[in-house]
Amino acid sequence: MAEVVLEHVYKRFGSVTAVQDFNLQIDDEEFMVFVGPSGCGKTTTLRMIAGLEEITEGTCAIGDRVVNDVPPKDRDIAMVFQNYALYPHMNVHQNMSFGLRLRKTPKDEIERRVREAAQILQIEHLLDRRPRELSGGQRQRVALGRAIVREPKVFLMDEPLSNLDAKLRVEMRASISKLHRRLGVTTIYVTHDQVEAMTMGTRIVVMKDGLIQQVDSPINLYDKPKNRFVAGFIGSPAMNFMVGTVEGDRIKSGQFDVKTDELLSQKLQGYNGKKVYLGIRPENIGLEGYTTIPERDNVIQANVDVVEPLGAETHLIASVDGEASIVARVDPHAEVRAGDKVKLFADVKFLHAFDLDTEVNLRFS
Amino acid sequence: MIRVGSGKVGKPIKWSYLLGRTVLFIVLTALLIVFMLPVYGVIVTSFKSVAEVSTSGYWNLPQSLNLANFIKVLNPDDGNLGLYLKNSLLLTIPASVFSIALGTLAGYGLAKYSFNGNAALFVFMVAGMFLPPQIALIPIFRLMNDIGLYDTLWAVIIIHTAFGIPICTLIMRNFFYTVPNALREAALIDGANDYGIFVRIMLPLTRPALAVLATLQFTWIWNDFLWPFILTQRADSRTVMVGILNLTGQYSVDWGGQAAASFVASLPTLVIFIFFQRYFIRGLTVGAVKG
Repeated sequence: MAEVVLEHVYKRFGSVTAVQDFNLQIDDEEFMVFVGPSGCGKTTTLRMIAGLEEITEGTCAIGDRVVNDVPPKDRDIAMVFQNYALYPHMNVHQNMSFGLRLRKTPKDEIERRVREAAQILQIEHLLDRRPRELSGGQRQRVALGRAIVREPKVFLMDEPLSNLDAKLRVEMRASISKLHRRLGVTTIYVTHDQVEAMTMGTRIVVMKDGLIQQVDSPINLYDKPKNRFVAGFIGSPAMNFMVGTVEGDRIKSGQFDVKTDELLSQKLQGYNGKKVYLGIRPENIGLEGYTTIPERDNVIQANVDVVEPLGAETHLIASVDGEASIVARVDPHAEVRAGDKVKLFADVKFLHAFDLDTEVNLRFS
Repeated sequence: MIRVGSGKVGKPIKWSYLLGRTVLFIVLTALLIVFMLPVYGVIVTSFKSVAEVSTSGYWNLPQSLNLANFIKVLNPDDGNLGLYLKNSLLLTIPASVFSIALGTLAGYGLAKYSFNGNAALFVFMVAGMFLPPQIALIPIFRLMNDIGLYDTLWAVIIIHTAFGIPICTLIMRNFFYTVPNALREAALIDGANDYGIFVRIMLPLTRPALAVLATLQFTWIWNDFLWPFILTQRADSRTVMVGILNLTGQYSVDWGGQAAASFVASLPTLVIFIFFQRYFIRGLTVGAVKG
C-alpha cells in the first residue's frame, strides 16, 4: 500500500502547458478522483503517475520513492484503460496473467490470484474466452481483473466506465467502489462525469485548463465550491448564476432582490454598489405556494420557459432579466405551465456570490 | 431484393435491377474467360507432343494425358527444372523473409514511435516503390560484379530484399497504425519491454498482414524474371523463370515442354496462396478495445 505525492508537477507539450503546478498528496487507501472537462489535464496527470508521459518539471512519488525516472513496470502500479486495451489474441486467463508471467511469478501463485480475481469480478466462466467474444461490461471486468491480479500499490483508472451504457455504468460504479473497499488499494480515478466523481471518490480533484481548482471531499465540493467553475461543474442540474448588484445586505437586479445572510453580507462589505455573480442551486429555490423555505423576502421573478416533470420532482427552466436561464427543482404537483410568470424564493443559507472577474466564491474567501 | 423505403416500389426498379445484374454477370463471365484462356492453353499444351501442337494447335484438348513433357523438363539431363525450382526456392524464401522482417520492423518503428523526421523518412522509404528497377540495372550489375556476388543467388536475394522493403514497410506501417496505442501502454505497465511488446503483443496481431505480404512477396519474387536473368549466368544459379526461357532452342520452340515447365513453376505460388489464405482473417483486433 502506498501514498502518492505530486509536487509542483508541470507537463508541457511544446509551447502548450497541459498541467500547471500540480500539488497533491493522495493518502494510502484513498479513492481519489480527478474530474474536469476534456482537455483539463486530468488524463495527462494520470499518465505521468503511470510513467506513460514524462514529467516536465516537479516530482512524483509513490510510497516513499520518487518515480520520475522509474519505468512504468517498476512503479508497482496497475492501470485500467478507457478502451480496456485487452490483448486480443489472448484469452481472459492469459490477459489477466500476462503481467505475472512476465514477472516470473510461480505458476500456482498465478493460478491462485487469477481464480481469486475472477471470483471477485464474477468472470470465472469466461476465463477461456477471447476478448472479442465478450460484451463491453465483461471486457471491463477483465480489464479490472488484469489490474487486480498484479496486487499493485496503486490502481490508476482512466475513464474506465465511459464506454459502457448508462445502466451498466451505474452497476460497475458500485462494483468498483465495493472492490476498492475490499482491496483497500490506493486508487486514482479519472472521469469527466461529475456524478461518478461524487459517488465514488473519498476526495475529488477538480481541474480546469491544467490547473487544480479545488481538492476536497464530495460534499464539501458541493457545499463549499471555491469558485464559479467548481460550483457550476459539480451538481446536476448545475448551480444557477445571475448577475446582480450588491446593495447593503441585499443583491438586486431587475427581476430579483435577495437578502444575504450574516456571513455573506460580511464578506460582501467591500462590494457595495458593485456587480457580482449570484449563485444558487436548483434545490435551494422554492416556488411560491409549494415551498417550505421560510424567508419570503428573497424573491426571484422569473418567466417559465420549459416545464420538465420527472415524477419525483419537476424542473422549471426559467429566464430572469431576459437573459439568465435558471433551473428550479420544485414540487412535482406544482401547477405551472410554460409561459407563466412565477415568483421564486431563494434559501438565504445557500446563497453564493462570486467575484465578477476572479470568479472566486466570496462566501468562502 | 428491392430497397424498402426508396419511394419507388414496383416493376421499374425490379426490371432495371435485373438488367444491371445480367449485364454485370455477362461482363464478369467474359473477363473470366479472357483471364483463364492462357491458363487453359498452357495446361492443355503441356500434355501435347511437338507434333501434336503443330497439327492440332494450342486450344484443342490433348489426345491423351501424355506426361512425357513433364518427365522431360524435370530430367536433370534435359530440362533440369528440379534444380531451377530448388534455386528459386533458395532465392524466394530468404528474400521474402528478409524483406518482410525488415519491413515489419521499419513499419512498427514508423507507426508507434514518434521521432523527428518520422514522416519524412516514411515518404522517403515508400518513394522507393516509384523507382523503376530498370534504371538501376547497370549500376547494380556492376556493383554485384565488384563485390563478387555476380552469378550467385545472394545477389538476387539482396536486390529483392531491398526492393521489397518499401511495400512491406508501407503495409506494415499502416497496419500497426490501426493497432491501438493503449495495447502497447498496457503491456508496458504489465512489465513488458519494447522487444517483448513487439514479439508478444504486436507480432501475433499482425498475422493477417504478414500473410498478405508473404503471398505478395513470394509471388512477386518467384515470378520475377529480370533480376535473376541479369545477375546470374551459370545453370547452377539459374531460377525457374530463367530456366523456362532456356528451354527455347535457337531455331525451334518446345511448346509442350515450356507449357509443362510453366505449369510446374506456377504450382508453388498456388500452394503459398492456399496455405496463407486461412490467415486472411479480417478484424483480428476486434475485442482489443471498444469502438
